[in-house]
Amino acid sequence: MARIAGVNIPSGKRVPIALTYITGIGPTKADEICEAVGIERSRRVNDLSDAEVLKVREYIDENLTVEGDLRREVQMNVKRLMDLGCYRGLRHRRNLPVRGQRTSTNARTRKGPAKAIAGKKK
Amino acid sequence: MTRSVWKGPFVDAYVLKKAEAARESGRKDVIKIWSRRSTILPQFVGLTFGVYNGKKHIPVNVSEDMIGQKFGEYSPTRTYYGHAADKKAKRK
Repeated sequence: MARIAGVNIPSGKRVPIALTYITGIGPTKADEICEAVGIERSRRVNDLSDAEVLKVREYIDENLTVEGDLRREVQMNVKRLMDLGCYRGLRHRRNLPVRGQRTSTNARTRKGPAKAIAGKKK
Repeated sequence: MTRSVWKGPFVDAYVLKKAEAARESGRKDVIKIWSRRSTILPQFVGLTFGVYNGKKHIPVNVSEDMIGQKFGEYSPTRTYYGHAADKKAKRK
């Protein structure tokens, strides 16, 4: 079991796949990391040597914002918009879609599960 | 699609003129503008604009964070007080 970027403990999966378990690392970034550190993409996490794990850890520390730091950054950006009083901020405050999507139907990701409206049936 | 860089930011000419005049006369009252589509430029920081929302001019105090956005972003055009049903549900 390897511990990379704090809390994350990816398992016996292929390295690029395991890396995507870290918040802020998707398939593309994971491939980039593998290439930069010189780990073959088909290798699995449990047969990496300690030195290789260390290299991955260092690469992430130096080049990427991940986990808590990333979440904080996103939160700060949203908070900035909310404090500004601009349209995007208002949408964030009301928990509605920010980028001009329709809200008459859909938009369930932002609005959450549908709420029943009393007395709507004829 | 974002705007081409070589064009520079879009601002209606009269907004620039009014802002210039306001800064020279010493910053004071609200500058009424109708141009919601104009970009907020660095030289507008500290001025107060009255941005038209279709009904009245909403005062907007321009701060540094607003640079690059449009004036219309700060002057909501819709009024919405919730559905009648929402109120009933709250009363119970």
